Parts: sequence; structure tokens; C-alpha cells
Amino acid sequence: MQQNNLYVQKNLIRKVFIVILLTVLVIAQVFPLVWIFSYSIKKSGDLFGPELLSFPENPQWINYYKAFFDGKIPLYLSNTIKIIIPSVFFGTILPFFLAYACTRMRWKLKKLVWLVVIVGMTIPIHTTLLPNFIWYRFFHLIDTHLGLIISYIAFSMSFNTIVFSGLLAGIPKSMEESAFIDGAGYHIILPQIIAPMATAGFATVGVQTFLNHWNEFIMANTYLSSEVKRTLPFSIILFSGQYISDYAVQFACMTLVALPPLIIYFVFNKWILAGVTAGAIKG
Amino acid sequence: MTSLFSNRKVIAFLVLPGLCIMLFAIAIPLVISIGLSFTKWAGFGKIRLIGLENYLRLFADKTFWRSLYNVLMLILVTVFIQNAFAFIIASILTKLPENRSRILRTIYFIPATLSLVVVTKLWVSIFHPEYGILNKFLHFMGLSGAERAWLGDPHTALWAVIWIMIWQGFGWALLFFYGGLVTVPKELEEAATVDGANRWQTYTQVILPYIMPVLQSIIIIDIISSLKQMEMVYLSTEGGPGNTTQFIALYLYQRAFKYAEYGYGNAISVLFVIIAVAMTLLIQRLFRKSVEQI
Repeated sequence: MQQNNLYVQKNLIRKVFIVILLTVLVIAQVFPLVWIFSYSIKKSGDLFGPELLSFPENPQWINYYKAFFDGKIPLYLSNTIKIIIPSVFFGTILPFFLAYACTRMRWKLKKLVWLVVIVGMTIPIHTTLLPNFIWYRFFHLIDTHLGLIISYIAFSMSFNTIVFSGLLAGIPKSMEESAFIDGAGYHIILPQIIAPMATAGFATVGVQTFLNHWNEFIMANTYLSSEVKRTLPFSIILFSGQYISDYAVQFACMTLVALPPLIIYFVFNKWILAGVTAGAIKG
Repeated sequence: MTSLFSNRKVIAFLVLPGLCIMLFAIAIPLVISIGLSFTKWAGFGKIRLIGLENYLRLFADKTFWRSLYNVLMLILVTVFIQNAFAFIIASILTKLPENRSRILRTIYFIPATLSLVVVTKLWVSIFHPEYGILNKFLHFMGLSGAERAWLGDPHTALWAVIWIMIWQGFGWALLFFYGGLVTVPKELEEAATVDGANRWQTYTQVILPYIMPVLQSIIIIDIISSLKQMEMVYLSTEGGPGNTTQFIALYLYQRAFKYAEYGYGNAISVLFVIIAVAMTLLIQRLFRKSVEQI
């Protein structure tokens, strides 16, 4: 009986410990965001008070108005959208094509191309910044959105191809064979038979590619030099330079930039989590 | 039927666009990088061939070694501390009811979806000596003596920066481990318990070996992403104070774009690629051995 009691006690302590652990982690991951939001609706002068977290009685929504227009968010947002539509489209469809050819078709250089895909995974973006800065000048791609789009697609190829190939390997070859006997060519087989079977893959890869490109900073910082061509993260940078003392507006700007990926994440999180799992297992 | 799967035109159509983009934006630049690493060039004017001079200079460059040391610290922290923690949390999550586990997974992954610029500016504000919440918190707890400019103090800067990186990277590690752990068959765990293994033995001797391939991917990803770290330091400390938060990717960037040393910058790039590929291969080999032993 006593032993049983001890067991119950030990179990209870463990449960309490686990609950505390999980809660602390929730706070660690979420609190900074709540804090940022609380600062974003204060007056800049109020940020230096001693309290840890408080929400003002009259929220300064004007900070958001200032952040939106003075941070040139409409301009930067339209640039980001201009870049992200083609880069996500091709950054998803081209890896799908490549993965299809590498997993299901027979050709001589397949092993070599697959090696390029695998090695591509390990190449850090930063090692190409300088040579690309030189190389792109020959094609007048510096300070153009096209140059950035090409780089974004290139750096999405390896990972996305690997995710797709894991998915395609599971589809039986008889799918194409029967369609082929019915007289269908690849222009019908790929979009009408294979692609629908890989919908989950498209969602996962698409959302992840979107987040990567939406948040990308260093290539945009390197290849784009004119103010009017820059992308969304620059509104924050612009603010920390121009409104150096208007902290509250900076916080409003950060919230605005962080919001769209957060919304996308909450809407599509099922696909993102599935994709991460697929990636981990495939390696 | 053979011709269906080896139709040349179709293969060319499927492979060439993606492959050409990779060659154009990754492979050719790397070749250029190798070529320029043997030269001295300021980005304009004459290119002077100087042989191995850049590499010799690199091996004697203290800042370069410091940046590698910092990367190594980051790798050690992610591989051992972050992963151990992520593994524990992931195994707790697999034991929870699905709806609760899903909510927690969603929350823990939030930082991973945020832009690097937002994350960095966020933590720079938290560490800010005047209005930052960390110092306010210490003050509140009566620990005013510990207050400091976390990112400006050479004793804390590196750890503050590593903390930011871990804060954002944790969600990924957790999901990878979770993804691996859900594939472990329930019977395996039950059999171990029946055989009298305690919880620790079950995890170290049954579950961990089962998810070895996942662990391998995680460690490779940790290493590659540690090597790639730069945006955070670029936007917070710029490698300072006194190069204490210098990371190899940032150092390369500064040499190239701040000091316009294109030859030297390319030499760092080349060595950087070699290190990244070599470390990946090394880890793969190590794991192959450990898998064979089992």
C-alpha cells in the first residue's frame, strides 16, 4: 500500500514537472511576440517604464498607420509579391519535374544530376553572394527582381526535389503505363494523373517555399541596391535608421511584417508540419 | 513501354530548366569563386593573379579562426543541448493526446515561421540595455547587478547571439524529432518494457537507435545551418564587440562587400564550401559506422 502511494506520488511529481516544462516553453516561444505587440501600441516615451508587460489604456493605433506609410510598406509589399509569385511557382514546379525525371524515368546522366541535387543541399547561400554579384553583372541582373527570382528558385531546387522524389517514389508505375496504353502523352499524364496524386507535396513545398522567400533577407540585401526595388524586411531596417528614437513605431512595423507569415502558418500549418516530417525521414 | 520512361524529349523538358537554373546561379558562381580566389581584385580595375597568397593569409587570419570557433560553439550547443531538449519535449508530445500535442507543436513552431529580420530586431530589443525586458526583469527580481548590454558585452555577446539562433531553430529540431518518434512502432517500446527495461534504457537502447537515420539528418541540418548563420549577427552585432560574435558567413560578407576584397572574399567562400561539404560527408561516414555496429 505504501509502495503504491509512493508510486502515485512519484507519478504526480513527474506530471507536474512535465506541465511546468511545457508551459515554460510556451511562454518562452510566445511571450516575446506578446511583448512586442504591447510596445507597438504604446507611446515611445512609455517604453522606459519599469513594468514588465502592460497594455496602455488608450492604444496608439496611429503607430501602425505611421509604420504602414512611413515604412513604405505598400511599395515593399508590392515588390515582395512581384518576386514571390514567380519564385514560388517555378520553385515548386521545376523541382517536381526534376524529381519526376529522377525517380521514374531512365536516362544516362541521372546519377550525376542527382548528385548535383544532393550537393546543392550543402552549399551555403552566402558562398555564392560574392561570385554571383560579379557574374550577374554580365547579364544586367544586379538590382533587378529577375536576378533575385532566379537565385530564389535555384536555392529551392535541392530541398524541394528531395521532398517530391520521396513522394513520387510511392506512386505505382502502372498509373502511367495504363494511361499511356490509352494513348495519353506526358502532357496529359503529368498534370492530370501524377500531379493530382502529389497534391499534398505541392501544398507542403509551396507553403514552405513561400515562407522562405517571404522572409529572405541577405540575397535581397546584396543584389538589390535601389531603394524602390527592395523587399518587405527592409521596412524594418529603414525604420531603425530613420525613426531611431521612435521605438514604438518600429515595434508596430515589426508586427506588420511578421503578421502575414504567421497567418499563412496558422492556415496551412498542417501542410508545413507534414512537410517537415517528410523531410526528416527522407533526409 | 521502355520508351515511355526513357523518352528523351520529355526528360530534357523536365530536367533542363531546373538543372540550368542551379548551374547558372550556384555551380558557375562557385567555379568563378575558385578562379577569383587566386587573385587580388577590388571589384573594378585590374585583376592581379597572386597564386595561393589569399589562402596563406587566410590560415594566418585570427578573425577567420575566431569565426570558425564561434561556429563550432554554435554547432556544439545545437547538436547537444538543443537536440537533447528537443528530443525530450518531442517524446513528451508523442505521449500526449493528439489534440493537445498538435496545439503545442503549433505554438512551439511559431518562431520558426518568422522572418530573420523580425526575430533579430525582436531580440535586440529584449536585450536592449535601456528599454529591454531582460534588464527590467533582472531589476524586478532584485538582480540589478546582472544588468548589462547583453549584445555589447564581450562576455555575453556570443551566448546572447547563440540564444537567438536556438530560439528560432528549436521549432525545427522539435518537429524533426517528433516526425521521427511517431514512426517508432508501439510494439518495440512495449517489448522493451516487457523485457524489464526502464524508461532510460528503453529510450537509449531501443528508441534512439531506431530513429538513427532521423538523428543523422538532424545533425547534418544543424551543422549546415550553423555554418550558414549570418543574418542575425549582421543585423545585431555585426560581429562585434571585437569579433567575439564573428561567424564565417558574416566574415566572408564583410571582407567582400565592406572592404571590397573580392579575391580574399572568394578564398573564404571556397574554403567555406569545402568545410560544409566535408563536414556533411564526415557525419554521414560516422553514422554509417555506428549503424553497422548495431
